[in-house]
Amino acid sequence: MARKIPHSDVLVTLMGAPHESDRTTSALRLVQALLERGNSVAVWTCGYATLLTQRSLGTEKPRNLADWNTAYPSTTGLVQDLLDTFPERLRWYGCRFCSDDRGADDHLPAVVLRPPAGYAANVAAADRTLMVGVI
Amino acid sequence: MAHALALVEKAYRGALEKQFFDSLYLATELHRQLGGLDILLRGRAVTYGIEAPPVPALRMGGRTLDTLSDPRRDLRALIEAGVGVWAERDALAAHGLHEAALAPDETAPAMDGDKPPAGVPVRLLDGVRTVADGEMAARWPEYRMVFYL
Repeated sequence: MARKIPHSDVLVTLMGAPHESDRTTSALRLVQALLERGNSVAVWTCGYATLLTQRSLGTEKPRNLADWNTAYPSTTGLVQDLLDTFPERLRWYGCRFCSDDRGADDHLPAVVLRPPAGYAANVAAADRTLMVGVI
Repeated sequence: MAHALALVEKAYRGALEKQFFDSLYLATELHRQLGGLDILLRGRAVTYGIEAPPVPALRMGGRTLDTLSDPRRDLRALIEAGVGVWAERDALAAHGLHEAALAPDETAPAMDGDKPPAGVPVRLLDGVRTVADGEMAARWPEYRMVFYL
C-alpha cells in the first residue's frame, strides 16, 4: 500500500547540489523562517542534496586546524537540530534513487527515503512546492 | 616572489555547508606548502576584497549558527601571512565598485537597486591591490604554478 504523505504548507525540493553556491544556505534559512512562523514544511532532496543528511558526516565537521576549539556543525547535525526543534511541522524526505546512485543511503533515521515515482504524492500533499536549483 | 598564483572567481559556495573549510582555507595550506601564494580575485569573488560588516549569525533549528564562511576575515589572515591579493578592476566596476569609490575614507555615490546604499563606506581590505584585466596573465611565466581555486 502506498505511503500516506502528511499535509504540509510548503514542500521545498532541493534539486541543486550543495557546496557550489549559497543556495543551500538560503533554502535552509527559508525553511527555518517558515517553521518559525508556524508553517508545516516538507523537504525533499534530490541529487547531491541527498548528501546533506548522511550519518557518516557525524554531527560536527572535522576540526579547524586554525581554530581548534570551535565546533562547526555538519549539515547532518543542523538538519537533526531542525527536526528536533520542529518535530510536528518538519518532515524530511530523500530520493532513494539519487541516494543509491551516490552511495549515500545511510541517512538520519528521521529521513524518509522515497522512490522518484512517489514524488507526485509529496507534491499533492503540499499547498505550495518550491523547486530549488537544478539537478 | 610567490611561487604559485591562485585565481578565485567563483564566490559564495556554501556558507552553511563549508563554514571554515572553503577555498581560502585551502589557500592557507597551499601558501605554506608551495613556497608562497598570490591570489587574483576575479568575477564575483572581487567582492571578497571589499570591507563589509561581519557575517551575521543565523538561527537554525534551536541554535544560533555563528560559524558561517567569512571570506573577508580569511583574506585578512592570508594577507597577514604574506599572501599577495589582487582584484580585477573590471569585475569591481561590474559590481558598482569603481576606483573613485574604493579610496579609503570615501563613501560610495548614491546608488539604487542592489548596490550599496549611499553613505556606506566602500573600500578595499588593507593589502588588496587592484589590477587591470589581463595584467596578471602577463605575469604567469613568473610563477611555477597557476591554478583556479
